[in-house]
Amino acid sequence: MTRKEFLGLLEEIVEEDPGTLTGAEKLKEQVAGWNSLAVVSFIALVDEHFGITLSPKVIADCKTVNDLIGLLNGKVTD
Amino acid sequence: MGTAKISGVRLAGVASALPRAVQTVAEAFPVFGEAATQKISESTGVRQRHVVPPGVCTSDLCLAAAERLLEELNWARDSVDGLIFVSQTPDYILPATSCSLHGRLGLSKHCAAFDLNLGCSGYVYGLWIGCQLVQSGAARRVLLLVGDTISRIVSPQDRSVALLFGDAGTATAMEKDDTAPPLAFSLGTDGTGQGHLMVPAGGFRQPHSAATCHRTARDDSNIRSDEDLYMNGAEIFTFALREVPPLFKSVLSTAGCSLEDLDVVVMHQANRFMLEYLAKRMRLAPEKVVVALENRGNTSSASIPLAMTDMLADRLKTGSLRMILAGFGVGFSWGAAALTCGPMVMPELVLVEAPAGVSVGKEDS
Repeated sequence: MTRKEFLGLLEEIVEEDPGTLTGAEKLKEQVAGWNSLAVVSFIALVDEHFGITLSPKVIADCKTVNDLIGLLNGKVTD
Repeated sequence: MGTAKISGVRLAGVASALPRAVQTVAEAFPVFGEAATQKISESTGVRQRHVVPPGVCTSDLCLAAAERLLEELNWARDSVDGLIFVSQTPDYILPATSCSLHGRLGLSKHCAAFDLNLGCSGYVYGLWIGCQLVQSGAARRVLLLVGDTISRIVSPQDRSVALLFGDAGTATAMEKDDTAPPLAFSLGTDGTGQGHLMVPAGGFRQPHSAATCHRTARDDSNIRSDEDLYMNGAEIFTFALREVPPLFKSVLSTAGCSLEDLDVVVMHQANRFMLEYLAKRMRLAPEKVVVALENRGNTSSASIPLAMTDMLADRLKTGSLRMILAGFGVGFSWGAAALTCGPMVMPELVLVEAPAGVSVGKEDS
């Protein structure tokens, strides 16, 4: 999956307009829709598209959108 | 995980009872804001829940279901020799609520009665034990009473739980039948998950105190006390992804059948997002998956039998269905049963009135 596609799926989850996320955004401070429901949707997204079950702990350690991409072991390409 | 195949016992009927009063999504708008509340409701799939008024316990709901079931089964009271009460919201610390219910139901002294303290997995565990009592000859007729009033242990200012849980009580009858098709079970536990769905204080590990019942704002910006239910949705979701697909595989293998052989799947009605994702993940045909929580909420241990009353009564009254019932959650504890059920007695839903003199909120129409 490309980075652009990934960001698009994340934008849907956090209810941002398509194309607005750059990756540098700080999750807690700058992404209003990043709440507990979004975390669950994100876990489902990663499970469905990458076959990886992320633990809530590693997700909580992520500070930025780029950190989330970093969890995916290079499966998101530029 | 632990598996079993049990013969010589049939389910004779299932009845469910709800408190009449409901709470709707709209009533939470002032607390959490309309937009936030609607978003939660969309994700959980819950628009309305039945909620007990003060003075009504799980046992009262189960009693109403049991009375209706016994009447329609035409079972003599003294023919019941096993009574199991499954709940995490009992009447008392002691005695066991099953003993209290035994007295209220007027059962015979030859009846064995005991409680089982499980939630989401409770109905399946109750069936597993009840069926074994009958198969082994320990009992001929078992009444399994399963329910919860989770609304009474939830902080109304905690958005992770306040909009989700409803109250219900159910009764299931099991009896000896040598011609009945076997039931397959698969069960498991992971106690390392204990902290993700828990009421931390009020038991003996952390006894009640002025501090434990004081509601404070927490990290997740919800307000609750340590005597309120704490639930970590993300941890429970990953738990379900980890354990439920293998659970289905295990129970199907024990039953010696495949997904295609099934007519219906009834999972614990935790929330719609999780049900739909699990169904997708396990490639279950959507029309076979029961989603019944829109007007009931998550009713904890009662959710599976309540879903049977709400969604499958007509089919189970007149014919038989090959089903998987799967409960998973608090503990972590999980269990699935693969069985062929019906025709059997499926009474209409019972609505329980508030005790005289108790005021209630909105009435269900």
